[in-house]
Amino acid sequence: MSEFATLASPYSMPAALHGDVDLTDLEAQTRSRALNQFLAGVELKAFKIAQAALRHEDDALDAVQDAMLQLARAYADRPAEEWKPLFYRILENRIRDMQRRRTVRGRVIAWLPFRGDEDDDEPDPIAQAPSPEPQPPRRLELEQAVEALEKALGELPGRQRQAFLLRALEGLDVAQTAAAMGCSQGSVKTHYFRALQALRAQLGELYV
Amino acid sequence: MSPMNEPLTEFERKARAVLEESLSRIDGRIRSRLNQARHAALEAAGTRRRAWWRSLTLMPTAGAATAALLVAVVLWHRQPAGEPPVLEAQHAAEDMDLLADSEALELLDGWDGPFYEWATAQTDNVQSEG
Repeated sequence: MSEFATLASPYSMPAALHGDVDLTDLEAQTRSRALNQFLAGVELKAFKIAQAALRHEDDALDAVQDAMLQLARAYADRPAEEWKPLFYRILENRIRDMQRRRTVRGRVIAWLPFRGDEDDDEPDPIAQAPSPEPQPPRRLELEQAVEALEKALGELPGRQRQAFLLRALEGLDVAQTAAAMGCSQGSVKTHYFRALQALRAQLGELYV
Repeated sequence: MSPMNEPLTEFERKARAVLEESLSRIDGRIRSRLNQARHAALEAAGTRRRAWWRSLTLMPTAGAATAALLVAVVLWHRQPAGEPPVLEAQHAAEDMDLLADSEALELLDGWDGPFYEWATAQTDNVQSEG
């Protein structure tokens, strides 16, 4: 038997769902598969959205993981069409919780008399080192565009950034975005319009 | 400006392309962690569903136990009210005293029923004449 035969594909179901467990219910299996597909489809975008808001990889990963768990635990039985707005709503709540906690922690740390200057989250110098491979001009151009957009997104107010990313990256419509953000459709349009204006003002030269 | 439900403008399309490019740059470590997170979530959903099914399979047992309890309660209420356990214990103590008392046993041995009936009748007659 090949050694690769034991490796599961990245989109396969976890062992507990098809191996040692008596999932006799065909509907439950279909639902698990659908949920797996849904989560696989949103996880990268969700991470990007969380990272833009939290500006910290591990925090963003935690937020996405929590959102996945909560969706699976509490809403897996809901119709699949509802999953996307629900998932992004949960994610947004989680991001806000983390931002709030971070603000409180920042205040507490500011009061501490002795605090080390060393930071655990210092970037890895090896990872940060420039690649010796020459980059083609197109690649460089894209990289600059990504960096500029991420920087501009980071400077947007949270609600504007969220409206923009849910629309531009996730492709949600106004109603879905409103459901995900927990506000009216009118507010969504306003946030999105303002986000577009701000981004155009910053990135106009790069994007035209 | 494009309202959100209308086709994207040129600027929005370029922004989307750049965002998608940024997704493709997400490194393997993060992809792996996201993959693990997804599997953990699916497992949690499966566990929850199994727990729900298990509770359903336990329902007949729980129903039978409840029915048995109900029957027991109904039968208990139908029984005639007996003496409270404290009184029963008191009577038992009195019986023991009687058995232990030799004089009382002698009285019982010499029991003369007709004599006592006659004496009672005499007493009643005296009272009615008086």
